[in-house]
Amino acid sequence: MNEDEAFEYVKNTLRKEKITPYHSHELEVVKSVERCINCGLCISHCPVVAAVGVDRFSGPRSIAVELSRSPPEFWSTADVVYLCTGCGTCREVCPKNVDIPEVVNLIRARIFEHRPDLVPKSLHVLREVLTEYYLAFEPWEDKEEKNESRDMRLERLGLPFVQDKILDKAEVLLYPGCQAEERAQEVREAAKVILDHFDVDYTLLDDMSCCGLPSRLMGDHETERVLAKQLKEKVKKLGIKTVVTTCAGCTSSLSDISYRNEWGVPAVHILEFLAEEIGLEKIDSATKGSTEFSDVHVTVHDPCHLIRHTSRQITDFALDILRQLPGVKVTESEANDSCCGGGGLVSYHSDDVAKAVVKENMEAIQKTSADRLVTPCPLCTAQIESNLFKTGSSVEVDDLTVFIAQRLPKKR
Amino acid sequence: MDMECDLLVIGGGMAGLVAGTLAAEAGLSTILLRKGQSATAYSSGAIDIIGYLPDASEPFSTPEEGLAAIAGLYPLHPYSIIGYVDGIKPEDVVDEIVGRTRDTITWLKEKLKDTIAPLSGDFKSNIFPITILGTTKPTCLVQKTMYSEDLQTREDSVLLFTGFSGNADFNPSVAAKTYLEDRIAIGEPPRKVGHCTLRVSPFGKPYNVSSVEIARHLDHERSIEDLATQLKPQVEQLGATHVAVPPVLGIKTAMDNKKKLEDQIGAEVFEMLGFPPSVPGLRLQLALEEMYRTNGGKMLVGHEATSYIKTEGRITKVSAKAPRREMNIEAKAFILSTGKYIGGGLSGDENGIRETVFGLMTVTDAYHSAGEIIPSRYTNRIAISPEGHPINSCGLTLDPHFRPINEDGVEWASNLYSAGAVLAGYDYSIEKSGLGVAAVSGFSAAKHAIDFIKEVA
Ligand SMILES: Cc1cc2nc3c(=O)[nH]c(=O)nc-3n(C[C@H](O)[C@H](O)[C@H](O)COP(=O)(O)OP(=O)(O)OC[C@H]3O[C@@H](n4cnc5c(N)ncnc54)[C@H](O)[C@@H]3O)c2cc1C
Ligand code: SF4
Ligand code: SF4
Repeated sequence: MNEDEAFEYVKNTLRKEKITPYHSHELEVVKSVERCINCGLCISHCPVVAAVGVDRFSGPRSIAVELSRSPPEFWSTADVVYLCTGCGTCREVCPKNVDIPEVVNLIRARIFEHRPDLVPKSLHVLREVLTEYYLAFEPWEDKEEKNESRDMRLERLGLPFVQDKILDKAEVLLYPGCQAEERAQEVREAAKVILDHFDVDYTLLDDMSCCGLPSRLMGDHETERVLAKQLKEKVKKLGIKTVVTTCAGCTSSLSDISYRNEWGVPAVHILEFLAEEIGLEKIDSATKGSTEFSDVHVTVHDPCHLIRHTSRQITDFALDILRQLPGVKVTESEANDSCCGGGGLVSYHSDDVAKAVVKENMEAIQKTSADRLVTPCPLCTAQIESNLFKTGSSVEVDDLTVFIAQRLPKKR
Repeated sequence: MDMECDLLVIGGGMAGLVAGTLAAEAGLSTILLRKGQSATAYSSGAIDIIGYLPDASEPFSTPEEGLAAIAGLYPLHPYSIIGYVDGIKPEDVVDEIVGRTRDTITWLKEKLKDTIAPLSGDFKSNIFPITILGTTKPTCLVQKTMYSEDLQTREDSVLLFTGFSGNADFNPSVAAKTYLEDRIAIGEPPRKVGHCTLRVSPFGKPYNVSSVEIARHLDHERSIEDLATQLKPQVEQLGATHVAVPPVLGIKTAMDNKKKLEDQIGAEVFEMLGFPPSVPGLRLQLALEEMYRTNGGKMLVGHEATSYIKTEGRITKVSAKAPRREMNIEAKAFILSTGKYIGGGLSGDENGIRETVFGLMTVTDAYHSAGEIIPSRYTNRIAISPEGHPINSCGLTLDPHFRPINEDGVEWASNLYSAGAVLAGYDYSIEKSGLGVAAVSGFSAAKHAIDFIKEVA
């Protein structure tokens, strides 16, 4: 047997033993686990541990020191590893920067490959949607109905309708993400209102497709790759300089794939675009005149994918912008940066866990006595809104992009 | 992303947060970078100033006595550096050190008064709180929930050690035995102790419950009342005047919970010092962060200082890395308070001990270069040893303005200051001085940095 044959032989035995060797891009994550000093600081901060206890979810340290260490037996962790919301809190507090959320993705990918029977069923359903439509939600069958739903939302929120702009070339690509494309259409519309107001040269995709984050979170590398490749081609063709998105998950995911797949263009959240490209002064003078709104007392929720997967500075931008909007009073909640439970695809199969996690936020939001919660992510908006509604709370919830767009004077 | 400020603090433990608060309070625009949590959040939360001299078996009864001894014996100890004031008379040096330390402690107590971790104890004397092993340890300040006014002075005191079933951190019967034996040996009260175990089930099961889970559970309404109901008959049966619980009385509501318990059971309740990571350490960290923010400081959590630009002997910019963003922060002065090996300010490998952000010169306990010290050769064979581990005393060495110095003995940069565990010349674990050195050096470094910024501005 020559060397190459030997290599192939070993690879085959690994396959038989259900071991997938680490890919080179996973090595940094794997190595980060070696740095764990077993201090346990992460357990004290994990929102899932706080919500359901270590007996149900053994927590980030156990993911680092136990669950990550037995490749062929990864499957045995399935009851735990799908309960992580991927909030990134553990990585942020860890003195050694152990990348636990990525370890979780890595384990899920192994289970997906070798023991798909242990992947929660609802994730398989999601996968089918993703591979069929390249979107995380089944698209509307009837375009007319979709538009009606959009118009109703716009009317309720008092937002003007701006025609879709689909160009061959532009400076900015507005990427709404699946949630704002198919469900929370008002967020996509609000982003258009904002970009239009500030005369940004932007375009939408003529054929929106998912960034691949859901596939990544369920461990479906194959679909993840297909989606990322599609998107890269679309972006490249447009020759844009920046991708702007309204979704927290898309911000971190696009930042990640644009870097890994060498798009050569940055992907930013619309808050960053507003603060850094448009500038606070311009926003200030634009919103000064708006008198349509009565005073409102808001509190803010910081999405994990912005603060812990991208940068905390982005929500500082949010506060800067909110504080200069006329008639807006901001009170920070005690749990402003606590995971809403909507991440990691947990709510797809273990809604009780997701609900237990968001409870912390509910109580803290009530305590602020704000009448409105704003958050720069349509997914967090949906998760918090439905849970607040169920508790009978009178606090209303708005996506922050919508909230800002509402306060811009109507262009005529 | 680019930003500007007067002072950039790198590191968000005790040293960095004290320094940042002082600067923000003085009206400077201050940004603090913190990459993770570390020794401060990990500690037992008791603020030690100085408990022992290395090698000594008798603790100091007052911090003042300890500081005087340190100043005399260890001229390069971080506490001693405070005494190097231009034109100071030799006989005033100790007063200067003691004065600055007292000021820091008074200031810190005042600042933490309305947080979740208000402090008890004062600079006049060391106190000897009980650990969950039933031993005592010298320290200077503890959180109010951990303080007992008269347990060890009141002739008729009776102490009940209370544990929780399913919480493996604390064994009340062992602690009670150890503690009582100690008290009998020195012939001081309390002369009677007892122990009991209560049930808490944060998630419906009375097993596998961690300390932080209990604390969080007790933050929720009505759970403390349930505890009081269980505890009351035990207190009455023993005739206990005091109840010692592990440090789990709550994260946000510990003070309230202590009071509620005391009202309902008619005995004084206090938390013992626990193993890391302990709830009081977490409370202290959160309280310090709140203190910094309410004084106007800006904090960038999850941002790691990775590189810098230095021109003409001065640092102009530091780059910080978040998970998916990078930014440059320009400042007039910088404070490095990145901690030791846990915090990540120092790292050691087969090539020696390094300072991780600027590559500053590191020294050993004997002030030789630590740049080539191999960490494994610089530890003691016994883990918990009264001599400590020489590696704990490695770190940066300073000029009188709290600026790290280079091989020539002069400051490495005119506007870089340093504080806390990243400094050389002391071993917190044997001296019992960790959070004290961090606070006092943070305070001192900030004073110098503030003066510098005001001068150049
Ligand atoms: C287990 C244990 C128990 C202890 N118990 C006690 C006790 O009971 N009483 C006591 O007084 N002392 C105790 N100590 C000692 C005391 O905790 C430390 O000496 C003290 O907390 C040091 O504070 P610090 O601010 O210097 O460093 P740390 O608290 O370690 O903080 C360092 C900070 O720097 C940050 N950092 C590091 N590198 C970077 C970078 N490149 N960019 C951005 N941020 C960075 C870290 O994330 C961290 O926030 C204990 C220590 C340990 C380890
Ligand atoms: S905080 Fe980091 S180092 Fe500590 S136990 Fe968790 S993963 Fe390990
Ligand atoms: S990513 Fe969040 S939910 Fe997952 S282990 Fe870490 S802290 Fe817990």
